[in-house]
Amino acid sequence: MKHFGIIAEFDSPAAILSAAEKVRDAGYQRWDTFTPFPIHGMEKVMKLGNSLVGWVSLAMGAGAFLSVVGLIWYANAFDYPLIVGGKPMFSPPMTFVPAYIMMIMGGAVGALVGMLGLNQLPRLHHPLFANKNFALASRDKFFLAIGATDPKFSENETRKLLEEIGGVNIELVEDAD
Amino acid sequence: MSSHKDTTHLPPKLDLSGWSRLPSVLMVGGGILSVVGALISFKHDGGTAFGFSWLFAFIFYLTIALGSLFLVIVHHLTDAGWSVPIRRFCEHLASLLFPWLAILFLPVILFAPKIFTWLTLPAADELIRARAPVFTLAGFVIVSATFFGVWWLLTSRLRYWSLRQDVTGDALCVQKMRFHSGWGILAFAATITGASVLWVKSLQYQWFSAIYGVYFFSDCTWIALATVYVITVILQRQRILDGVLHDSQFYFLGVWFFAFTVFSAYTEFAQYFVVWNANMPTETFWYLIRERGSWWWVSMILIVGHFFVPFFLLLPVKAKSNFKIVLPVCALAWLMHALDLSFNILPAARPDGYPLKWIPLQLGCLAFMGGFLSWVFLKKFASHPPYPQRDPRVLEAMGIGLEPEEYPDTLPANGGDR
Repeated sequence: MKHFGIIAEFDSPAAILSAAEKVRDAGYQRWDTFTPFPIHGMEKVMKLGNSLVGWVSLAMGAGAFLSVVGLIWYANAFDYPLIVGGKPMFSPPMTFVPAYIMMIMGGAVGALVGMLGLNQLPRLHHPLFANKNFALASRDKFFLAIGATDPKFSENETRKLLEEIGGVNIELVEDAD
Repeated sequence: MSSHKDTTHLPPKLDLSGWSRLPSVLMVGGGILSVVGALISFKHDGGTAFGFSWLFAFIFYLTIALGSLFLVIVHHLTDAGWSVPIRRFCEHLASLLFPWLAILFLPVILFAPKIFTWLTLPAADELIRARAPVFTLAGFVIVSATFFGVWWLLTSRLRYWSLRQDVTGDALCVQKMRFHSGWGILAFAATITGASVLWVKSLQYQWFSAIYGVYFFSDCTWIALATVYVITVILQRQRILDGVLHDSQFYFLGVWFFAFTVFSAYTEFAQYFVVWNANMPTETFWYLIRERGSWWWVSMILIVGHFFVPFFLLLPVKAKSNFKIVLPVCALAWLMHALDLSFNILPAARPDGYPLKWIPLQLGCLAFMGGFLSWVFLKKFASHPPYPQRDPRVLEAMGIGLEPEEYPDTLPANGGDR
């Protein structure tokens, strides 16, 4: 039987914040917290940097911008040169408005697709859903899970650590796949 | 969360006492340079070079004051909490409009016949005749005085109630400031459009551009944000505002600054694009002049320095609160804004290329006015509390999520898990 990790339950934001500090200090790498609302300072404890979504968005936006400029050049100046309103066949100002609009489109699609990709979504099921208390993560309970893929993970040691830092309902979560 | 603010990460306190004579030095040095320049200008072109340089420097500081006024108005209209600490010196900057900038406007009236060709050209021109009541010296003075009158009313009321709030802490003060911001935003929009058209755009009165007022406004706010950012950094380093400032203030200012970098490029391009697309001689001539000689290079520098460089430097999230990135961008913004105003103002007198010979004269006018206005500003700043003392939102700005009456007795001892 494969294991996904160990999950523990906490009662308050302060409890999970101090628990997270201790898990971090114990040297764990692959762990996560699940709370009903964002907890101030958690991102610092978990050392979460900025999301990479912005770069996906930038790349998609810039790509869309340049491809529309290219498309207009190809259509108006190369493939079928056409004089419109006495303007040059190709001039940067004339491409700007459609290219700019497609840049917004590309940026937005990049943000959405990048977010879904980095979150590994959509998926139909998650092993943590097997935990019967886990639904309370969107109500009034605070959860901390340490993944089995963590190099420091050991069933007994990790369970002991979670007990020491005040976790209750500690459960080994199975990976159903 | 915790209200305790860690100031140990701040570098040592900034001591600017050695610079206290700078405004006077600038005023005297700039004054001498301006007078010498004016005398030379009289001899060569009857004062045109001086008139244009003075107008250029005047508009430069006018934009900072108008942009600051906008920040104060928006603060009240949106009921903002984060901008409480920076509100007071923005009010001081805005109240430079009257009487100080109005005084500095007097030479513009004096030199108006040298600057604005519509004052001296025969009224046979239909474009002048159609605007006859305004396009006369009396009309020019009356309309300009109206602008300053509105700004005087607006800035003095906003500042009066803000200072009153320090004393009474009364809810009436907030209501009054909101009331004056309410009619003020409309009056601001009307006067800033009128001022930009009458004082800058009418230099080439044959030209039409409906977006000019918006373009002028976006640049006003852009340069005011650069100035406000620098002042906020200085006040934090001097430990004057560090108690009420959080990282978020710098981040929000950076976001505004970034947004207006984009917005001013947007308005400028929109103006260019409409002229380019319509392709009418009555409009294109304005840009054709600016593609001649060294003006071409000025416009190229503006595209890169006014938009692309600040845009990409300020784009990352963390850059907006990183002083090492934003402060150089602010310096660049001042330089680019000055160049942008040159681009708008000077070709009317020098269509063949950027007048390099005028630079000492322009620097003289800029230094004189800068010294004078910063002297007035420092006097105002020193004679009042540095931030609104009893604003209902000041605790919010400090990052304390408590009602004022709860503070500080029931501050949770455990750092507050509420």
